[in-house]
Amino acid sequence: MKNKTAKYKYRILSVCSVIAVLFIWELVTDILHLISPMMLPSPAKVLNTLIYKLTGGVNPDGATLLQHIAASMKIALGGYTVGVLVGVPLGIAMAWNRKFEMFAKPLFDVIRPIPALAWIPLMILWLGIGYWSKVGIIFFAAFISATINSYAGIKRTSQVHLWVASTFGASKRQMLFKVAIPTALPMIFTGLRLALGSSWVALVAAELLAATRGLGYMIQVARMLGRPDVIIVGMITIGVIGYLLSTVLEKLQNKYVKGGK
Amino acid sequence: MESKTSRFMRKNMAAFMTIVAFMSLLLVWELVARFTNAGMFLPPASEIISKFVESFTVPIGKHRMLVHIGVSLYRVGVAFIFATIAGIFLGVSMGYSKTVEAIIKPIFEFIRPIPPLAWIPMSILWFGLGDQSKFFIIFLGCFCFITVNTYDGTKNVDHVLLGAARMLGASERQVFFRVVLPSSIPYIFAGLQIAITAGWSAVVGAEMVRSDEGVGWLIVMGMTNGNTVQIMVGMLAIGIVGYILATAMAKLEGRLCIWNQQQGI
Repeated sequence: MKNKTAKYKYRILSVCSVIAVLFIWELVTDILHLISPMMLPSPAKVLNTLIYKLTGGVNPDGATLLQHIAASMKIALGGYTVGVLVGVPLGIAMAWNRKFEMFAKPLFDVIRPIPALAWIPLMILWLGIGYWSKVGIIFFAAFISATINSYAGIKRTSQVHLWVASTFGASKRQMLFKVAIPTALPMIFTGLRLALGSSWVALVAAELLAATRGLGYMIQVARMLGRPDVIIVGMITIGVIGYLLSTVLEKLQNKYVKGGK
Repeated sequence: MESKTSRFMRKNMAAFMTIVAFMSLLLVWELVARFTNAGMFLPPASEIISKFVESFTVPIGKHRMLVHIGVSLYRVGVAFIFATIAGIFLGVSMGYSKTVEAIIKPIFEFIRPIPPLAWIPMSILWFGLGDQSKFFIIFLGCFCFITVNTYDGTKNVDHVLLGAARMLGASERQVFFRVVLPSSIPYIFAGLQIAITAGWSAVVGAEMVRSDEGVGWLIVMGMTNGNTVQIMVGMLAIGIVGYILATAMAKLEGRLCIWNQQQGI
């Protein structure tokens, strides 16, 4: 009983704190005019803009919010898919085959510390400012997390399990698919989640620098036009989608991947 | 029992294969760049390496390479220190006090999924185009990781230890400084390590969007001028410094939290 009231108390406190922040924000902008609307638009204004952009408003950047989201998603998921399709098998292969590891790991270790953002100029020079250059950038963002985690996951396979399998006459192939990969699955999934997170971050950067549509483009144009309300709408959208993407993958992981946690 | 020679072979196999891997990569790269049409987009590896070495004495833009690296490191350093102080403070107070947690967490959780680079337009409006706006962006990039990890660490303190300390008559203050803080240090260090990598990536991004010097400026200028060599020299510098930062942080952790290795969280 006491626990329940305590829980309620904290929940009410949380709600109060959010309301207080919104109220202070409104107070310093719309009511007291302490901060110029060019620096920080009021929450009411942001909400208005959000509704306007959601219901098909195209000003000031030439597309509705949903069109921007669709453009960003198309790039992010494209690059992510390619990155994962290359990264996971590469990580598994590197961890499983010692000869391949000795050859490929040093090369991978050279690419690894380069942030995905640093590939932007090269990608733009090589592939132009269209769809493929951004896919290329996000490829690197996703690829690195996917590879590292798959590699670490396979490496974690217990030697004893492998011995048992080989004692019972499992072939190399069976050992990989029946023992090592299932062991690594939670780690691989964590890698997929991290990869999605870093893809989304890289996407924003890529669109800030070179794009004609997409959420990053939207906030960049809004800055040039001096529309901070649109910037904030864009930031909130980016945050919410990033959050949703990671939640969806986490739910999938909890449902389909046994073990791990 | 394997013989001495084969053990020697096996030990040095890795080093040997590493050399083979790099040699073959550089050779293929060099041949492709020199003898095919791809040379237009891909300068030969030898040119990049010699330009990289040269950049330490011959300035690119206004500065030499070390100055560019220094400027970027300075930006990361300042923001990282602020983020460490703020992040540990906030993380510990959220983990330790349920009231603070209830007040701050919903707001923090709302801000956390926004990538630091998405703050660039806002931070330019607020802080202008100078270093301050870069500090702000890098600060955000580091801060969230440090806070989350510190918070997790403080939350995951062993309840038996807490109970034991309280039962033996430790004051709240003692419990906090002798039990809670030490046992969350491994988490804090894990956070610091992610944060330094994220911070380095954020400075590159911030400098690419708007800057007059630094490693991000190097590569974005290379793009503007269509100078692939300069881009790749910049990427090489970014990669090397990023690697050094991550390794240094891991070494520091190993030094300061020796007990962590035995426990293996």
